[in-house]
Amino acid sequence: MTAEEPAIRVRDAAKIYRRYGRRPHGTLKSALLSLRRASREGGVVALQDVSFEVSAGETLGVVGSNGSGKSTLLKLLAGIVRPTRGAVSVRGRLAALLELGAGFHPEISGRENIEITGLLLGLTKKEIMRRFDDIVAFAGVAEFLDAPVKTYSSGMAVRLGFAIAIHSDPDVFLVDEVLAVGDEAFAHRALEKFSEFERAGKTLVFVSHDLALVSDRCRRALWLARGRLAADGPAGEVVARYRESVAAEEGERRILEPGAGGRIGSGAASIELVRVLDSEGRPTGRVKSGEPATFEMVVRAAEPLADFVFGFQIATVSGAVVFGTNTFLEGFRSKRLAGDARVTLATEALDLAPGIYSLDAAVHARDGAPYDYRRDVLRFEITAERPGSGIWSPKRSWGFAGGIGWKKKGEEH
Amino acid sequence: MKLETSAFLAPLSRAVAQRALIVALVRRELSARYRGGALGFLWSFLNPLLLLLVYATVFRLVFAPRADVRPYALFLFGGVLVWGFVSSALLDATETFRVNGPLLRKTTVSAEVFPAAAVGARLTHLLLALPVLAAAILFSALRGGVRPNAAVLAFPIVLTLLVLTVFGAALALSALAVHFGDVRDIVGNLLTLLFFVTPVLYPIQAVPARFRPLLRGNPLASFFLGIQDSLFFFRPVPASEWLWMLGTTAVALILGCGVFERLRDSLAEEA
Repeated sequence: MTAEEPAIRVRDAAKIYRRYGRRPHGTLKSALLSLRRASREGGVVALQDVSFEVSAGETLGVVGSNGSGKSTLLKLLAGIVRPTRGAVSVRGRLAALLELGAGFHPEISGRENIEITGLLLGLTKKEIMRRFDDIVAFAGVAEFLDAPVKTYSSGMAVRLGFAIAIHSDPDVFLVDEVLAVGDEAFAHRALEKFSEFERAGKTLVFVSHDLALVSDRCRRALWLARGRLAADGPAGEVVARYRESVAAEEGERRILEPGAGGRIGSGAASIELVRVLDSEGRPTGRVKSGEPATFEMVVRAAEPLADFVFGFQIATVSGAVVFGTNTFLEGFRSKRLAGDARVTLATEALDLAPGIYSLDAAVHARDGAPYDYRRDVLRFEITAERPGSGIWSPKRSWGFAGGIGWKKKGEEH
Repeated sequence: MKLETSAFLAPLSRAVAQRALIVALVRRELSARYRGGALGFLWSFLNPLLLLLVYATVFRLVFAPRADVRPYALFLFGGVLVWGFVSSALLDATETFRVNGPLLRKTTVSAEVFPAAAVGARLTHLLLALPVLAAAILFSALRGGVRPNAAVLAFPIVLTLLVLTVFGAALALSALAVHFGDVRDIVGNLLTLLFFVTPVLYPIQAVPARFRPLLRGNPLASFFLGIQDSLFFFRPVPASEWLWMLGTTAVALILGCGVFERLRDSLAEEA
């Protein structure tokens, strides 16, 4: 054992879950049938091409969205599942806190659960007895020791699970999102314990959605995206990059989730529905640059109104107005709005640069007093085959004359 | 104690290495089971006692008892207790990974301990019932029945071999049940069938000679003949039965460990 030898070494690890295993109630027949199919389809890739090393004494954070492979990575490190390809090795005694109190049986006492959980973590009976008082003290469950665990509050159970795990004296400690469940005081004590670990030269790997925690506590972090290692480096940098990517994805997701923006107005008329329609009249979240698009709103008037204006406004996600107009500006003079009505604004060609845009829709009085003004009511994406910066993407063509020559396509290299 | 074994028996040697955990799991199982009942562990004695009383009553008042084995209630009792262990241990084994799925997915424990604990818990119930059986045997002897002799010493050995056989089967069934939801139903029905072709309700002499080879095809038959010899007839178990038992135990362990070993990697993923 040399000092340079890493505590954790992962080389080209991949984990592929066979697909037929995902079904909860397989039967012999269906499994035999799908056994053949699964081997052809190859299953679900949870993790691939992951390589990294962790030195002894290092604290490593792992970030990534749900389903990115974080839990699978911890399970590989813990030895709960084996890699489909590649190799994973961990040096020293390992404790995996994948779920606090996973071993608890609700019907038996805290005392009995401490013993059994300790054994599950690989302690001997003697070791458990020696640490028993420390565990109880850390968890603060002394007066409930002989009560069944089902009578514990969830906080108590979590504290007890954590206490047993940290007292198993691991060299390598794997922690999955456990601080999210306890109260403030407990989280504080747990973090203190982690610092103690660090000072004692133990290795800590922890998965968390708490990005501030990761960048505070870890010098280094991994970012997993769709089962691959998207970044490995100083925790602050990795977290920042991960944040950016989350923000971008967030914008994209909101295309399909209208109504996230603000809404003001008297309610004399209300906007019931806002959609973007493609050239065929189908609702869409994506429009190709230069294609026709129609903006639609469905309005309901509580009482008949004589004074009303409909308006649409397109803006970039960062808030710059791209285009706006309303019926009054364009010369329509209101006479009567009653019951349900539908308003469309059709464009022949939406010549916008590729990106995400936000739409406001409004119905208001001529003096601007809103009946229903909906900011950022939906977002849509403009796609384009041709790149270009800015927000406008006009129909265009280059012209060349004189002594200019261009390589043909495919001749670039 | 470290068993030096081929890779075939790896699950068995791992289970032996983890016996402290298995014992704790068994204790947990029993203590969880009896928690909350006013009579607690007393039920382990009461259940077999009540069963014996039911047999004694039914075969005195309702059905004619077999004339060739008297008292028939006592003849039944030992076999039925042991059969109860076999069938409930195997059925529990098919459920054990479903019940303990969270533990298997979230901790680094090695999977053998769960079928081992399932068998262990049922074995403990059986062992707790044995004093009732012993009392029944002595009571019958005092009333003029056959006196127990040294032949009863064969019983612990028969039982040990049977437990190993059941453990082998439990390993295979527990792992298969994770992949195939049908296993529990198949096992349940097979056990019902097996019960009637195993000499539990009748002595082997009651089986027409031409059907006896068929009975021999049942791997469990020799164990129950051994139990009848040692606990009811008080006569030595024939060498041929010992061979059957040893052979069955070896095959069950090797097959069980083999199947388990093949499937164990997938258990934490699928359970």
